[in-house]
Amino acid sequence: MTDWLNKTPVEWQSFVNKDVKVSADEKNEYQGWVITIDPVSASIVLANFEAQKTQIRVVMGHAVQKVEVFNEADDIIRERLSHIFSSYETSLQTSEDLETKKQNLKSWLEQNNIPVTLQGKLMRTLCVAGVLSIDPPYGPDDCSSSNEIILSRIQRLLQDYLTRQ
Amino acid sequence: MENPPLLPQVPVIRLPRPPSPSGRGFDPSSPRALAHHAADSHQKIRSTLRERFLRSLLASSGLPVTFTMYQRVTVNAEKFNACDMEAYNFQVSNLQTPLGVQDEALIRGPDIISYSFCI
Repeated sequence: MTDWLNKTPVEWQSFVNKDVKVSADEKNEYQGWVITIDPVSASIVLANFEAQKTQIRVVMGHAVQKVEVFNEADDIIRERLSHIFSSYETSLQTSEDLETKKQNLKSWLEQNNIPVTLQGKLMRTLCVAGVLSIDPPYGPDDCSSSNEIILSRIQRLLQDYLTRQ
Repeated sequence: MENPPLLPQVPVIRLPRPPSPSGRGFDPSSPRALAHHAADSHQKIRSTLRERFLRSLLASSGLPVTFTMYQRVTVNAEKFNACDMEAYNFQVSNLQTPLGVQDEALIRGPDIISYSFCI
């Protein structure tokens, strides 16, 4: 299916959180839950939950021939899939812990003269100077920004902040 | 003496004017810019999909991976190190090939069908 490479992000999005069977080149077939599809290489990331660990398989976009959808994920699996790569602590922390963590970090950043605002539906994302956002659980790996200089500086600051605590 | 045959005429293609050096790119309200501009929702979906993919790469770094390649070749690598932006090259350590173990190896993305790892 050469079409697969030319699909739009919206079409790819419709496969996310579905149980699918991917037919790839040389009669390889893979089944699993779709975590995501890379919009750059069109590669499919599949998850298979086993007893203790999770097997992740990435099928390269150029090798994909056909994708069949079997099932839709229920809420439990959906939740599991969306947190599969985030640190294990996230799921263990209660929302209260995160709230205090967020307030502490916010006041610490403000003390250091860094402009911070709250963002998002639940006001859980910290936005630094309008160009960088810090998502829960507010670690150095949770920062995202298109400006890599600001990103590395804030990540270093956060690292200092966490080691000092 | 006969005149040599005329060469075919080539039309002159006029390219659109580039942005002025002091400007800030093409006018965002011009038809050209509007045609290029995908809906905001598209971009949002694209970025969430990409972020999840990058997190999957981050999760796989340092773990043993198994590559399924063309011609029914399956190789194991002890450590997944890095991959480039377009997922075109994969750098791994201690790649177990039929010819022996390669300490450091670069695998071309187009040769791979799939790869897997456990977390």
